[in-house]
Amino acid sequence: MPAVPSPQEITNLYENTRAALNADSPDLDAIKSRLSQLKVALVKTAIQDAHIAQNASFQSLKRSILEMGAEFSIKTGDISAFERYMAQLEVFYFDSQFGLEESKVMYPLIGLNLLRMLSENLIADFHTTLERIGLDQLQSNQFIVHPVKLEQALMEGSYKKVWQARAEVPTPEYMFFMDILMSTIRNEVASCVEKSYSSLPFADAKSVLFFTSMDELLRFAQEHRWTVSPSEKRITFPLTTENTRLFQGENIMKQTLSYARELERIV
Amino acid sequence: MADTPNKENVTMEVELTPEQKQAEERRILVEGTSSGLSLQLQVVDLNRNVKFLERGITASEVHYIHRALRTVSALRKRLQPEVLAEIIAAHTSPVNQQIVADCLKSILESLGQRPAENPAARSCEPEVCLFFGLLAQLHLLDSKAYERGAQLSNVLVAMMSSTQRRTLDSVVSRVFFYYSRFFEVADCLSDARPTLLGALQTATLTNMKETKAMLLTLLLRNYLHYKLYDQAERLAAKSTFPSEAPNNLLARYLYYMGRIEAIQLNYSQAQLHLLEATRKAPSNSTTAGFQQTVHKVYVIVELLMGNIPERSLFRTPVLKKPLQPYLELTQAVRIGDLSQFQDVVQRYQDKFLQDQMLVLIQRLRHNVIKAGIRSISIAYSRISLRDICLKLHLDSEEDAEYIVAKAIRDGVIDATIDHEKGFVKSAEVHNVYGTSDPQHAFDKRITFCLNLYNESVKSMRYPGGDHRKELAYADEGIKRERELAQELENEDYDDGSDMDAMDEDL
Repeated sequence: MPAVPSPQEITNLYENTRAALNADSPDLDAIKSRLSQLKVALVKTAIQDAHIAQNASFQSLKRSILEMGAEFSIKTGDISAFERYMAQLEVFYFDSQFGLEESKVMYPLIGLNLLRMLSENLIADFHTTLERIGLDQLQSNQFIVHPVKLEQALMEGSYKKVWQARAEVPTPEYMFFMDILMSTIRNEVASCVEKSYSSLPFADAKSVLFFTSMDELLRFAQEHRWTVSPSEKRITFPLTTENTRLFQGENIMKQTLSYARELERIV
Repeated sequence: MADTPNKENVTMEVELTPEQKQAEERRILVEGTSSGLSLQLQVVDLNRNVKFLERGITASEVHYIHRALRTVSALRKRLQPEVLAEIIAAHTSPVNQQIVADCLKSILESLGQRPAENPAARSCEPEVCLFFGLLAQLHLLDSKAYERGAQLSNVLVAMMSSTQRRTLDSVVSRVFFYYSRFFEVADCLSDARPTLLGALQTATLTNMKETKAMLLTLLLRNYLHYKLYDQAERLAAKSTFPSEAPNNLLARYLYYMGRIEAIQLNYSQAQLHLLEATRKAPSNSTTAGFQQTVHKVYVIVELLMGNIPERSLFRTPVLKKPLQPYLELTQAVRIGDLSQFQDVVQRYQDKFLQDQMLVLIQRLRHNVIKAGIRSISIAYSRISLRDICLKLHLDSEEDAEYIVAKAIRDGVIDATIDHEKGFVKSAEVHNVYGTSDPQHAFDKRITFCLNLYNESVKSMRYPGGDHRKELAYADEGIKRERELAQELENEDYDDGSDMDAMDEDL
């Protein structure tokens, strides 16, 4: 078994990685390998020394390493890794048993996590996490307020506000998830538009769906099987009227049979 | 004492008629007020309860144990530690198991009494020991000695995990309730969690249903206190709540489940559970607080589902005052006025925060707009987007367009948007009776009635001893009828033969 790295060695490795990350053009692969080394070192120390969990400085070191890992996964665009880091960090953020002081990047990271849930349409998880954050933060902290406002706008359906919120992100990391969010809501808007308009001229369709070029619009229309008429420059949406007068024989049969059975049981 | 022989004659019958129950409660309370006699009488009462417990253990009948536990709430009001010490002394004999003896000693210590010597000591069963422990816990809780109470509870729990008998069930569940309560009062609930989880495992394995139900409720309460909603949900999903649990436990469990589901956006399930919780809990003065809390969550869940709760709900005298802010909230949502809604939320913010409802209420904003759009669409056959924007206090026409489009997609309104001319046109209202909606509504109500019927048939109970007497009466009745019928036949025969004879003569 290779020797257990001492906390000092881990701290040094952490400082190196941090410096490399903050450099102008970070070498992503090298940083990735160093992160894995750090993680292995953390696990080894935890296994060897059962009481290390009580050591506050070690805990804060662990937290900083995890936060760095989370930031790194955003840079490389690895969403599942980000999710894993956040799951581990939640223990540090919401359980104040370690008595650590508040981390500077805590709220930006929580905000990013909330945004990730929004972009993947995980509204239940979004609300559960929201419950754990204190009320004062919900109203004042700019990192948290941003996803909360976004969620409200999404629920109402004012997608324009969401589109405009792209300009107001607190940190550049938010842009990563905003782009994913945009494609999610584009699908939403498409389904809304299908039901509510009978037809739309090209120019309006382009602005409604937040497209920048005609080709994207036409491709999108083809995917959703809308009829495009280049002569009039309109898109017509297929009408889907539910036939509410359709006789639903099977349902009625099932219901009547169950009534008969229950009534027969009455002595 | 001259009265004691009379009291010893009180029947050992388990099921008392309501009048007897009331008389007994009154007797216990009235006699407690006179001081000199009270100590003696308490000893008598405690002795009687111990007899019940022992009889229950030997006969393996849970009824006796329940009977003893029923008197606990009346005893609690006038319990003196000296009396308890005396009784414990009467039960400290060398014959006891080691763990029972230790437990009794620690109960005495927690009460601050010295162990007394009593030559005529009887042996002590674990149930009786736990019963004394329960009374000691109540006394400490009432006198606010929380640390001693927590220590005592720890000792009792350790003792409970070593002995596992079916008859311990009801007593154990109550001891656990106060165990958790001591921790809650001392604000260190998370420490209680490992013990509760271990005990839940044991209770499930040994099939102690009431304890399992109580532990599940306590654990859910624990998780909700720390807002660990997904852990609570996982616990509820993995474990089954025993169906034979008493109604008050079931009501609490349903309330906790309802709250968890409301947070997780599962509104229809939450509504069912909360409604059942209100029905299972008895509605008297002691449960008023519970009813109020459940109704608050119920109102919010109804609003989130898009239904408006009925006005009569807010008028019941128990609920009138606490639900006043929720009434105003409901009115704002019904009208669909966003500014009024914000106003109400602002005004009652502290109250909502106290009830932990504030985050759920923030979700209602969307419902307000939905209600507003719906009322506009019903009122106008055609309305310009600009007017909608003004009426709903929205920021711009484009916002209004997007919101209306989403509302149409969600099925809130039935309309089409004309983008160039910039207006919304509502569709024709067609005859509801032409669709199959009435059929669905009827079906729901019919299944509910049939289920109710089935459940009431299943829960029929026959009266206890009277049943046999009735059968005896019925038997006699049948015998008498048969005799009468035979006599009649004989008479007929005689009459008939007379008649024939007369005819023949003629």
